[in-house]
Amino acid sequence: MLQIKGLNAGYRELHILFDVNATIDRGITAFLGPNGSGKSTLLKSIFGLTTIYSGKITYNGKDITGIPPHKKTRMGISYLPQVDNVFPNLSVRENLIIAGYTLEKSELKERIDAVLTIFPELERLMSRKAGVLSGGERQFLAIASSLIRNADVLMLDEPTAHLSAEVSSQVFSKIADLRDKLNLKIAIVEQNIHGVLEISDRANFMVGGRIVFSGKPQELLERLAPANE
Amino acid sequence: MFVVEGALVYSNLLALLSIGLTITYITTGVPNFAQGSFALFGSYTALTLLHTLKIHPYASVPLAFAVGGLAGVAVYALALKPLVKREASIVTLMIATLAVDLILLGIFGAYSDFLEGLTGKSAKKFIFTSYDFSIFGFKTILLFSTFAILLLLASLSALFYRTKFGIALRASMENPELAEVMGVNVARTRTFSWFLSGALASTAGCFLPFRQEIVPLTGSLIIVSIFAASIVGGITSIYGSVLGSYIVGFSESLLTFIISLAFGQILVYSRVISLIMMLIALVLAPKGLAGVVKKKWSIYS
Repeated sequence: MLQIKGLNAGYRELHILFDVNATIDRGITAFLGPNGSGKSTLLKSIFGLTTIYSGKITYNGKDITGIPPHKKTRMGISYLPQVDNVFPNLSVRENLIIAGYTLEKSELKERIDAVLTIFPELERLMSRKAGVLSGGERQFLAIASSLIRNADVLMLDEPTAHLSAEVSSQVFSKIADLRDKLNLKIAIVEQNIHGVLEISDRANFMVGGRIVFSGKPQELLERLAPANE
Repeated sequence: MFVVEGALVYSNLLALLSIGLTITYITTGVPNFAQGSFALFGSYTALTLLHTLKIHPYASVPLAFAVGGLAGVAVYALALKPLVKREASIVTLMIATLAVDLILLGIFGAYSDFLEGLTGKSAKKFIFTSYDFSIFGFKTILLFSTFAILLLLASLSALFYRTKFGIALRASMENPELAEVMGVNVARTRTFSWFLSGALASTAGCFLPFRQEIVPLTGSLIIVSIFAASIVGGITSIYGSVLGSYIVGFSESLLTFIISLAFGQILVYSRVISLIMMLIALVLAPKGLAGVVKKKWSIYS
């Protein structure tokens, strides 16, 4: 289990997150909220890409607050950024190889084969540069890359950003599949509230760098309903 | 023929130097104005071994490679890494490397005094042409420098495209934050790139006295041509910098020679040609030849 306790974080002097408490456990935990509410900063902070002023992040009871990103990756925590989440000048194969950088050669081959069974659409694109893939293919590659590392915790920052409704629905369905088949702890930051709440097990709503709701997805939908009417 | 041979040797050495400049620029964003002075680590390693242990300068190449590599790592770790970490601007980084260049100038000046005192032989101004020999009618420096650049290109190609570490290097160059996310130790790939850059410059410096006279100021003079080669080729492209090196190297050597035939002795102004080419590239093709080629390809894709 990944736990965030009393987290205050931001970018240098720019304080973004205020006393955030959250838990990421088995299943899908959604983090929602308006633009600038600190959702993406929260994932970045967990992964060690921001300045942490105070608070604690623990993973299976171990304090991981000050641990650099590449070491968190080795611990099984994977993070998928919102943009620039693949290397456009590297081929699909090279992207998958670099995604498994921390693995031994034989294990890497096994993992790539395993991931290709989940994302068979990538198999025919292996020698193509990631920069020429379509938006959906690129997002599948990005998610496949984060799975290569034998992730236990998968943090996805707006995985459906800039995708059509049809492709977004395919991506959500694939994420739900991953939860069911691989028993992962998945944290998703999303703008597409209805899409993500359909597949989520827990939901958090953030405003101004604070979590103002934490509970069941259905409950959040009900609370948000009058606002959406 | 002699002029063409000289131009090829000069271009080979320029390529070794500009590849190093490009690698560190891509990986750390530092335009290293001390790259020319890194070459002098090789020149002085070779001179020291020659004067103290009578070792032929060509046999000094492996040690020069290692010394230059370690010097590159030391400069990066002590002077530049703290600045890069603080997200210093490119101007700050440029000034820092200029400061390093001046410090190295002082160090090489003092070392040449020390070496002269120790061996009783000139170290403030030296040249190795009398130690060169011919194989099949070709000067060895021509063969060795050509072999060095071919070996380097083959090795870099194998490293970048055939090894996991090489792919990690390319990934770190393209998007260091994402590479870190993937588990790549980006700090290590950056340190490696400074080792490689220093090592290549120092190797070029080991060969350089076979072509021209070396003084402690040589590094500060040759940096003009190194930057011109990188910018003409495209400072973010390794293979572009190789192409730029041959264009600048041949232009500097051949054009200066041709103009000097018409107007008399102008060899001392050869760097002006590099500067003019650099300006033309900056105005007409800021991304260099690599940018032009990429644009042309994208039209057909």
